Amino acid sequence: MSGHSEDPIAEESKRFFTFFNLSMLLVAITGIEIVIIYVQTFDGASIIGVLFATSIVKFVGVVTWFMHLKWDKILNTILFLMGLVIAVFTFFAVIYMSDDPPKVIEFNVASVENDWSADAGYSSGDYVKIDDSYFLCLSDHSSPSPSPTEKSSSPTWEKVNGVPHEFNWKVSTGDLIEINSLKPENPFFHHYNPVVSVENDWSAETDYSSGDYVKIDDSYFLCLSDHSSPSPSPTEKSSSPTWEKVNGVPHDNDNIEGSLISVLEKKASTEDFRIKVRSEAFWVENN
Amino acid sequence: MSEASASAHALDHHEPVTSTGIPNKKVLMWAFLGSDCMFFGTLISTHLIYRKISATVGGNFLDIRDIFDIELTSFSTFILLASSLFMALAVSAIHKGNLSSTRWMLFGTIIFGLIFLACQVYEFTHFVQPPDPQHALTLSTYGGEPHVFGSTFYVLTGTHGTHVAIGVFWLLGWLAYSFTGKMSTADALDIECCGLYWHFVDIVWIIIFPVIYLMEYAF
Repeated sequence: MSGHSEDPIAEESKRFFTFFNLSMLLVAITGIEIVIIYVQTFDGASIIGVLFATSIVKFVGVVTWFMHLKWDKILNTILFLMGLVIAVFTFFAVIYMSDDPPKVIEFNVASVENDWSADAGYSSGDYVKIDDSYFLCLSDHSSPSPSPTEKSSSPTWEKVNGVPHEFNWKVSTGDLIEINSLKPENPFFHHYNPVVSVENDWSAETDYSSGDYVKIDDSYFLCLSDHSSPSPSPTEKSSSPTWEKVNGVPHDNDNIEGSLISVLEKKASTEDFRIKVRSEAFWVENN
Repeated sequence: MSEASASAHALDHHEPVTSTGIPNKKVLMWAFLGSDCMFFGTLISTHLIYRKISATVGGNFLDIRDIFDIELTSFSTFILLASSLFMALAVSAIHKGNLSSTRWMLFGTIIFGLIFLACQVYEFTHFVQPPDPQHALTLSTYGGEPHVFGSTFYVLTGTHGTHVAIGVFWLLGWLAYSFTGKMSTADALDIECCGLYWHFVDIVWIIIFPVIYLMEYAF
């Protein structure tokens, strides 16, 4: 690191050219960064990679020559690197600890287009279509199915005003889901909390794996180690390494799937809706 | 001390011997810069994480390019890089005992530092009161909608701007001191410490410019 020559003044004079050349290099690199952004030749990830690399080159250039670390004792480098390394590790630690944003794996909306058939059996809640009219089945029945008619007073079918649509979705994780229409003339809004609580009653005859939850009365227990039947009974005061009592209700909110049938005023498709998923601090939407 | 006598003593200035072999002031400055790294590292991390978490405003993606003026920011980046060259030459000149050159280089660094600050003041004013109020970025809102981007952005770039302002005041002090006739090569270490601080401010901007500004244009 230390590089004092015989003639320090001549050495300082030489540094003039070093500083000037470095300065020109820094300007050139910055210019390249800006051109890359304007031209957008690469994809986003590659651009970030290039910016990251050029920043490191500029950073090292300034620290090494402008800040004289090249000619100074190693202690100065160590002092500076200590803070720098801690800063970099702090950054990656915080990034690592932050939750991954949820992903909308699947989302589709389609109108229900089941043509009524006298030979089919129907269950309560089914929708059928005759010409351009839609009917809701009010009671389970087998074939032959009574024909739905607009003026029917039958307790079997009821004509609906509008078009029944089926909504299906699958998201990676989340604690709140909202679906809303993007068309004001065809309003729709669905908002719900998809968290599913774990309700497995403990059984001595069951095999359990580490991470499983069981319920006894109103208490929940976490399995700490894999074991086969007969399973030791979880108790609140147990000192067993097999079970641990948990405070609160354990929830499962990964890979959430859902579906819904709703009657809309007009026929619509997936593109007419937006699904928003919240997971901790993230809000992700797909439309 | 005259410039001739200053030259005669050029590079003949010896600091007290320390156990590390490095002047204590310099060790202290490097330790401070190391701690300032953590400070800026925290601010940059905070901005990036909240940028990722709060990517939307009012249901739409927050496209901050609507108000960013990348030409202006690029210009101020070049200015700050050029000021670093002046600063390095000022340190080199004082080591050689060339007071006249030191003075001019300090003056150049100050001017470029002031230009950078002026650009930042213009930029902030433009962000808070843009031609289209729908893109106004305040500390707590964007286009009138609550958003965290302004908080992390202004705190980060404002803290950097404050560092630049402190550096300019420090350099102004040295420039004024150079006219008292007391400046000599014995002050080289102090000016070098001032230079370390100024270069540090430069490298922080070297990170901020691509990470906070250019990255917004990557997608």
